[in-house]
Amino acid sequence: MTGYVLRRAGQAVVVLLLVTVIVFLLLHELPGGTARAVLGPMATKDSIAQFEKQHYLDKPLPVQYWHWLDSVLHGDLGFSYNQNESVAQLLSERLPKTVLLAGVSVVLALLIAIPLGFFQALRRNKPVDYAFTGLTFIFYSTPAFWLALILITVFAIHWQIFPAQAPQGNFKDIISHPEGMVLPVATIVLVSVAFFSRYVRSSTLENLLQDYVRTARAKGASTKRVAYRHVLRNALVPVVTLAGVALPFVFAGTLISEEVFNYPGMGLLYYNAAVARDYPVLLGVTLVVAAATVIGSLLADIGYALLDPRVRYTKG
Amino acid sequence: MTGEQAPVLEVEELQVDIALRRSTVHAVDGVSFSIGPGETVGLVGESGCGKTTIGLALMQLLPVGGSIVGGAIRLEGRDVAALPEDEVRKLRGDRIGIVFQDPLTSLNPTMTIGAQVAEPLVIHRGASMRVARGRAAELLELVGLPSPTKQLDRFPHQLSGGMRQRVSLATALACEPALLVADEPTTALDVTTQDQILELLARLRAEIGMAVLLITHDLGVVAGQADRVLVMYAGKLVEAGTTNRIFYETRHRYTEALLRSIPRMTTSREEALYSIPGQPPDLSRPPRGCRFAARCAYSTEECLAEVPPFVGPPEHVHACVHPVEQATAVGSQSQVAP
Amino acid sequence: MAVDMQIAEGMQGTEEAVPQEGALRLAADVFLENKLALASAIMIVLIVLFCFVGPHIYHTDQIHTNISNANQPPSRAHLLGTDDVGYDQLGRLMVGGQTSLEVALGAAAVAVVFGVLWGAISGYLGGLVDGIMMRVVDAILAIPALFLLLFLAAITVPSVGTLILVVGLIAWLIPARLVRAETLSLRTREYVEAVKVMGGGPTRIVVRHIVPNTIGTVAVNATFQVADAILLVAALSFLGLGIPPPAANWGGMLSNGLNYTYSGYWWLVYPPGVMIVLTVVCFNFIGDALRDAFEVRLRRR
Repeated sequence: MTGYVLRRAGQAVVVLLLVTVIVFLLLHELPGGTARAVLGPMATKDSIAQFEKQHYLDKPLPVQYWHWLDSVLHGDLGFSYNQNESVAQLLSERLPKTVLLAGVSVVLALLIAIPLGFFQALRRNKPVDYAFTGLTFIFYSTPAFWLALILITVFAIHWQIFPAQAPQGNFKDIISHPEGMVLPVATIVLVSVAFFSRYVRSSTLENLLQDYVRTARAKGASTKRVAYRHVLRNALVPVVTLAGVALPFVFAGTLISEEVFNYPGMGLLYYNAAVARDYPVLLGVTLVVAAATVIGSLLADIGYALLDPRVRYTKG
Repeated sequence: MTGEQAPVLEVEELQVDIALRRSTVHAVDGVSFSIGPGETVGLVGESGCGKTTIGLALMQLLPVGGSIVGGAIRLEGRDVAALPEDEVRKLRGDRIGIVFQDPLTSLNPTMTIGAQVAEPLVIHRGASMRVARGRAAELLELVGLPSPTKQLDRFPHQLSGGMRQRVSLATALACEPALLVADEPTTALDVTTQDQILELLARLRAEIGMAVLLITHDLGVVAGQADRVLVMYAGKLVEAGTTNRIFYETRHRYTEALLRSIPRMTTSREEALYSIPGQPPDLSRPPRGCRFAARCAYSTEECLAEVPPFVGPPEHVHACVHPVEQATAVGSQSQVAP
Repeated sequence: MAVDMQIAEGMQGTEEAVPQEGALRLAADVFLENKLALASAIMIVLIVLFCFVGPHIYHTDQIHTNISNANQPPSRAHLLGTDDVGYDQLGRLMVGGQTSLEVALGAAAVAVVFGVLWGAISGYLGGLVDGIMMRVVDAILAIPALFLLLFLAAITVPSVGTLILVVGLIAWLIPARLVRAETLSLRTREYVEAVKVMGGGPTRIVVRHIVPNTIGTVAVNATFQVADAILLVAALSFLGLGIPPPAANWGGMLSNGLNYTYSGYWWLVYPPGVMIVLTVVCFNFIGDALRDAFEVRLRRR
């Protein structure tokens, strides 16, 4: 297993580096030149010149990249002239909130999707299976922002159970007002459940066709025992890696949810920055999100290695 | 042999159909045989003849679309074919054990060896996993696995093919069944391992004395292990008798052809290998008469008219209109390669 | 009991050969057996007709605004009412559908072509090249598509063409991964060795032997790509960075209409949303059914 983990970690490092290269190249391709794009249309010639010198913009690309990467690794993700704060500072305020939203949503979605997918597989092509497929697919096919607005209309305006806006303020404020999180989380969960349940259903079906199921029956195992003691464990093993793959999807859902519910997380930060053409923020967030995805994927793969004895107990 | 003691297994005119998308295959069409206590019976035939179907039918483990449409299967006197699912389940793994062909895919990859071998005991004897695992270690030792206690916590992929097959055997024997069904137990293994497993089977038979149904296409396996042989073709039995008689006094033309197609040490290099010309019949529309007639060099009108009846003494029957005459039996002329 | 059936179905005990079926036959069987997929396919045909043939039957002006006629509820003159600048809503729905479908299908096509080539080459060459090519895929995948799109939309002015390119250039990643995995398993097959022995070069092997065998997986994925593309473009429009008017697309119509949710102008809010969900759901159902069918085929290899 160590071989597997080392290889995956090595790959993750390479991917992270490539991500930084991509982000750097995007930084370089900003309209009007990097300096003007970052400083804004009001910048003076002097400030532009100073910016260019500070950021080595007159030097060849690789040198620029090196300096930029160096500053990033030291925690300097740039400065938002728009918000008058360092990007790192903005992120440190917003990141935990988005992690909370995304984290709760993913966990809830999995808690629903796993039993759902499993039971659908056991009752494949029966009316129940079709019904849930239809239902989850409809939610999956609905634009998240529309779903969010429908939820607001029904639960916040018509029935006034949950607030239409997410709790504002810092992390503590948010946690102390959980009812404000319900609709934002619900939006993301409804849209993501189908994605996960489909995979679990598929994995379960695949396992049901395996020979070891026949062997278990030949031992006299009841269908319940076969399903829960044999098939379930095997079907769930690859689901861990799925969580890693789903991260970008979940972040995108988070962005929309934050925008609609005015939730002060990274997604909303990103959206506002896009509207305002605040490039340092855009790039800083992209970098952090991508890095989080890569690391998340790596952790998911390691989790998989731990769960699957075929990987865990193999030499290298 | 059979006789005084009640047979462990009695199959009477068994008929199994398999419903496919567009047709129904009559996989087993009126097969009868019995196995006495301590007997090893070999069931041989080529792929598609229905032998595995019989093995699965014994435990009511037929795949979707398969069903027993006629006949009886009496295991220790009880008609398994007529029992409801939960009754059959109690017999599976307890009174009848089965070893399948592919040892790797037959074992659960994420379950320890110990848990898998112990499982029949947990299911049928109500043993706790801890106690059952202790017994599992004994079973693993019985089947010749080195360091049995260590193996309990390992996983299937960590074992070699031969070791896995031993594990499968141990699992099948856990509850000391009256009948062991071995479906192509050595086909997926290399030759040396095959020998080891067969030796193990012989040893177990001697030590435990259970009845064995050995299903295989390999006549060599049968020659060394079985007391009696049943030859099957296209869903029907064509010849049945003691191993010696089948090999040295072959009667049915199909058996003769099978024996002839085994490569021999004595065959000269220039001689082409014999293979039976033609294909087995389509079992969704089986022919009226003898099913081998289309490929048989000796067939006549009589063969095609209706299914030949079984003739011959009880210890050696065959269903052939133009059987091999005694003196020209293939087996008596040259050595059969083991 | 249902669980019984399902578990019993798992057993492939018999040697009785189940006839192997060709891919096309299998796909046809899918549509015949899976009623959902069949219904979806029919629905899509209807939607396409609605969007492309509809305007020839139901003529409306989608270029000139008419503010005095804004926000009219459905009437005989305007079957689904008018929007906030006076465009006929039903007509706009048709024309908007054209754009949405064009972008989605175009993007899926770009994604498939580029992705298949990248994946096949990467899988076939293997080694370091494969490693690098796949790491690039991983890196771009790590950035959420919406993020990337927002960024690109902030830099450029979107048009149908640029949207197709942009969405396609993000969507090629998954087909690339899938095709690479298939290529890896295919290139060790005997018939590939046979072609090599015959003197076939890598291009020939990749293009004529490996790629055609990935059609199943690619077709499944392409269907999902179309569905995703429609949602992506809708999200972009909602965030204000879609194709500017007078061009119409369902996402833009929906986000526009959402401004009027509380005014009770339901004809602005529901029709575009329903069209989006309907179209996307149909593509998802079809893709799902195809995936079921092809996975079974893969198992029987």
